[in-house]
Amino acid sequence: MAKKHDENLCKFAYWNGFAVGAICTRVEANPDCQGRNRIYIMTLGVLAAYRNHGIGSKLVASVLDYFEAEKDGKLSTVDEIMLHVQTSNSDAMEFYGTKFGFEKGELVENYYKRIDPPHCYILRKKLR
Amino acid sequence: MSNKSSSTSANDNPQSGQGRPLPKKESDLSKNVVKFYESKQYKKGLKNADTILKRFPNHGETLCMKGLIVNAMATTSVVSAPKKDGGGGDREGDKKKEAVELVKKGLMMDMRSHVCWHVYGLLHRSSQDYAEAIKAYKQALRIDSENLQILRDMGLLQIQMRDLHGFSNTRLRILTLRPSSKVHWLTYALSVHVNGDAKGAVGVLDSYMATLDKEDSVEFQRNFESSELALYKNQVLSETSGDDNDNNEDGLGGIRTALAHLDEIHELVVDQTGWLMARLSYQLQLGRFESAKETIFSLLERGSTEDHKVHGAYMCALLKCDPIECKEVLDTMRGTKTLATLRPLKEEERAILLRAYGSASAAATDDADDDATNGSSSIPKEGLAAIFPKSAAIKRIYLTLLPTSSDEFKSAIDEYCRRQIVKGVPSLGSDLSSLYLMEKQQKQPQQSSTTMNGNSTTSATTTTTRYVLAKDPIDIQQHGIYRLVVELVDSYISSLSSANTFPNNDTEKHPPSTLLWAWYLRSTLHEQAGQYAQGISLIDKCIEHTPTACDFYELKSRLLELGGDIQRAADTVDAGRDLDHQDRYINNQTTKVMLRAGREEDARKCISLFTRHEGNPEQNLYDMQCTWYELELADCWRKKGDLGRSLRKYMAVIKHYQDFHEDQFDFHMYCIRKVTLRSYCKLLKFEDDLWGLPHYGRAAEEVIKIHLHLVDNPDKSKEDEEPDYSKMTPAERKKAKNIARKKKKKAAVVAGSSGGSNNGEKGGSSTDKDAEKNNGNKKKAKPHVIDEDPEGQELLVLDHLEEAKKFAAILVRHAPKRISAWALQYDVSIRRGKMLLALQALFKMKSIHHNAHQLFSRIVDFSLKLSSRTTEHAASNQVISTEFPKLMKCKSLMEFVQLAVEDAKADALSSLPMRIAVAKAMLSANAGSASDASSLILDSKLNARCVTVETCRESLKFMESLGKEGAENRERMKMLIMAKFPFAKDC
Repeated sequence: MAKKHDENLCKFAYWNGFAVGAICTRVEANPDCQGRNRIYIMTLGVLAAYRNHGIGSKLVASVLDYFEAEKDGKLSTVDEIMLHVQTSNSDAMEFYGTKFGFEKGELVENYYKRIDPPHCYILRKKLR
Repeated sequence: MSNKSSSTSANDNPQSGQGRPLPKKESDLSKNVVKFYESKQYKKGLKNADTILKRFPNHGETLCMKGLIVNAMATTSVVSAPKKDGGGGDREGDKKKEAVELVKKGLMMDMRSHVCWHVYGLLHRSSQDYAEAIKAYKQALRIDSENLQILRDMGLLQIQMRDLHGFSNTRLRILTLRPSSKVHWLTYALSVHVNGDAKGAVGVLDSYMATLDKEDSVEFQRNFESSELALYKNQVLSETSGDDNDNNEDGLGGIRTALAHLDEIHELVVDQTGWLMARLSYQLQLGRFESAKETIFSLLERGSTEDHKVHGAYMCALLKCDPIECKEVLDTMRGTKTLATLRPLKEEERAILLRAYGSASAAATDDADDDATNGSSSIPKEGLAAIFPKSAAIKRIYLTLLPTSSDEFKSAIDEYCRRQIVKGVPSLGSDLSSLYLMEKQQKQPQQSSTTMNGNSTTSATTTTTRYVLAKDPIDIQQHGIYRLVVELVDSYISSLSSANTFPNNDTEKHPPSTLLWAWYLRSTLHEQAGQYAQGISLIDKCIEHTPTACDFYELKSRLLELGGDIQRAADTVDAGRDLDHQDRYINNQTTKVMLRAGREEDARKCISLFTRHEGNPEQNLYDMQCTWYELELADCWRKKGDLGRSLRKYMAVIKHYQDFHEDQFDFHMYCIRKVTLRSYCKLLKFEDDLWGLPHYGRAAEEVIKIHLHLVDNPDKSKEDEEPDYSKMTPAERKKAKNIARKKKKKAAVVAGSSGGSNNGEKGGSSTDKDAEKNNGNKKKAKPHVIDEDPEGQELLVLDHLEEAKKFAAILVRHAPKRISAWALQYDVSIRRGKMLLALQALFKMKSIHHNAHQLFSRIVDFSLKLSSRTTEHAASNQVISTEFPKLMKCKSLMEFVQLAVEDAKADALSSLPMRIAVAKAMLSANAGSASDASSLILDSKLNARCVTVETCRESLKFMESLGKEGAENRERMKMLIMAKFPFAKDC
């Protein structure tokens, strides 16, 4: 089981010395499958000015690489990686879908409390 | 323990100094006492001493030793709480007193013991009364003239006190007693040297070397000590006037000898760079430029390519500059300055330098034709840029060589900026600002007249042209290079933001950070030109673009501060600090801005993040001699009118400098033992100039101002925002006094609970804060609460004029080229009624800067005081009446002021402080009406020099003092200020 604050799961992206992006994920229990876990992407962000330079991809890839390295080790209980994405955020769905092969899952209604639209999809990718 | 012999001891009264030594057993104990003292085992020492005293209560030497130990114990226990804080309580004070009494008693018992006198001297030394200590040592030596320990101690004190003659005598005695010791030879040589007898010092060193056995001695082998000694001797040689039989008309004989000596010692020397630098300096002074060039190339190849001093020397060699200019370049150039930024170059000079610094091919072809003499030398034919392609300094220097109006210059600076912007170099703006050079005629002789040979140079009044840096926004705005850079950066910005490329068909796509840094640079350019609002709107774009870069918050904070909104400046830099709590630099910046914003509590919390955790942060900062913090804090208290606390902090800084001075004690022995004699000489020089350093000056000047303020306002509870009460007009003063009176009333009410009259101004809230503070740090207690801290109050009840006089005297002695020092000397002298001293200060000011506003206002003041003066010596009257008119251009006061009015009007840029000074003088000399006076200020349209928020506030204050007559102009002035400083809400 990974540590609670595993630095491989949360990372900053630096550009010329300044933090311009970050990813933060955690390993959590998979409610659908007793005793098994999943990686949940809590947040992924890149400053607007630095988008389309492959920074976000690098961040996601670094987590996926970490999984590959540890799939029989620390992360042997992890089966999938998933996240929530706002229904209107087609850029994000495109990003995860085409680049990393995430699949669109079920719709969760009223997931967000302070933003509109409040609904989201679940995106997930089977890791094994 | 000592029962056995007690029956015989009662009346013996042994006193070692009187030929009645202690019995064997006690004598052994007594040796132990000394041993324990020296190894700092004070408790054991004390025990042994007490054992002896039990039997011989009047034994002088033991009493003295006991006193010494008690004193040492008292001193070590207050190490953490410096003496000026009241010795951390009375206990240590009592102990000290006890120590003094013990030693005195011991000395009375046995006046003929050298030990007693020695101890008496040591005691004085530990309380830093060196003059008394030297006297005591001399007594001790009268009894035991060959006591090495005492001689050594005395020598230390003498060099510390700069009793150079005495020092030399003492060291000679030591050397005569122990001629076998190297240290004694070296110290004696040094003592002769510092007495100005370079030749004698060389003689001593030679005699020492002659005592050595050539074959075996390490002195003749290559190692650090022999190397340092050889280089030291070389340095001393260069200071001699040379051999008498040498052809020495030019006074450079010493240099020639030293240059030849360098070759002799080459095998010994390990400090190759030092050796080469010495050689270079000699060669330049002797005008041997070709060999100097070879030396320079050796230096460059050893890795000194980034040392601008070497480049300055190279330019001198290339241009065959005269020795005076060479010396000026070698001695005074700092940072990125070289000959090219010292003075304008002639066309042919420029051509030579450009060839030398350019790239390969051009230099090679040109040289081959016309410079055949170079064929044999080892100097490469290519330009430096080709030989050292990686050197940043060489590229940077190349910029300073090109004619600024040329296309080459434009493209060079274009390339330079582009590269740095792509890299993201935050300091690019300030780097470029050192290119804004302005020519200035200097009437003074080239200041070399004092230098080594003592030959003052002939040309006493020739005008030389020197570059000075444009610093005022007005001058920068109009500077050609500034405009060029602005034009370039604007073109970058438009091209980068539309196409992510640099302009002019550049096809390379750049990352987003390039545009960001172009914006940032543009913002710093706005800052330099005093365009704060534009600067802020750009830096806001940067922050929006990349909110994670703390440089941007820092720049924004600076812009806000300059633009007049110090509170927002503090908040902004604090936001930047919040990005990275491990960044000590930004944490310190934040602290500084917070203090300027008057938020000393926030500042304390902020800086505490980086002080040691245990104990009181302020104590820790004091121990770390954190001068900048204490100065800012003192300024903060001063602005709040809390003069006691403020003085306290300024005095803390002054104490640090005293400590720096004290610290040299440790080096007198150490440096010689380690044979770092060259560094030691530098240290002695540094310590001599210590009081002339800028931070000391800042503290001392404020101390003087506060004391003068208190002289002018003897009623202690009176408080206003600025201590420079003295400069106010009568109307202002009256108003300020009214305010003060009100405050006093208010304070009286508050004082009922707090007992302090000084903090009344800030009302209840401050007393809460103070109470809180006093809980944690009694030792470092603040001076304001009368009952709790008598020390602090002491600062406020000192003889103010005396204190001010003391510091002014130090400043004018050690910083005689600083105009503010002489201004204060004037202020002090005039209050002391010393008209001649005041007059002297005026003349000194005039020689530094003949039309400074500080000078003008003081001349007017002097003239007014002169007319109302009562009595003076006839002789000084005579001097004043013949000399003073020279300062007034032999005019009456009214004419003099009118002349100044015309001058101020004639120059649209004449500085705002000067305009204020002249305007004030118009009123006091009846040379114009109030509206004329305020118009003079208004006419500047704030497009003049020295327009800052501070000077604007001062002019508003002046206009307010004019009452009705100034009202209209004041409103107009306010509009102008709001346009220029949109963030200055309080104007």
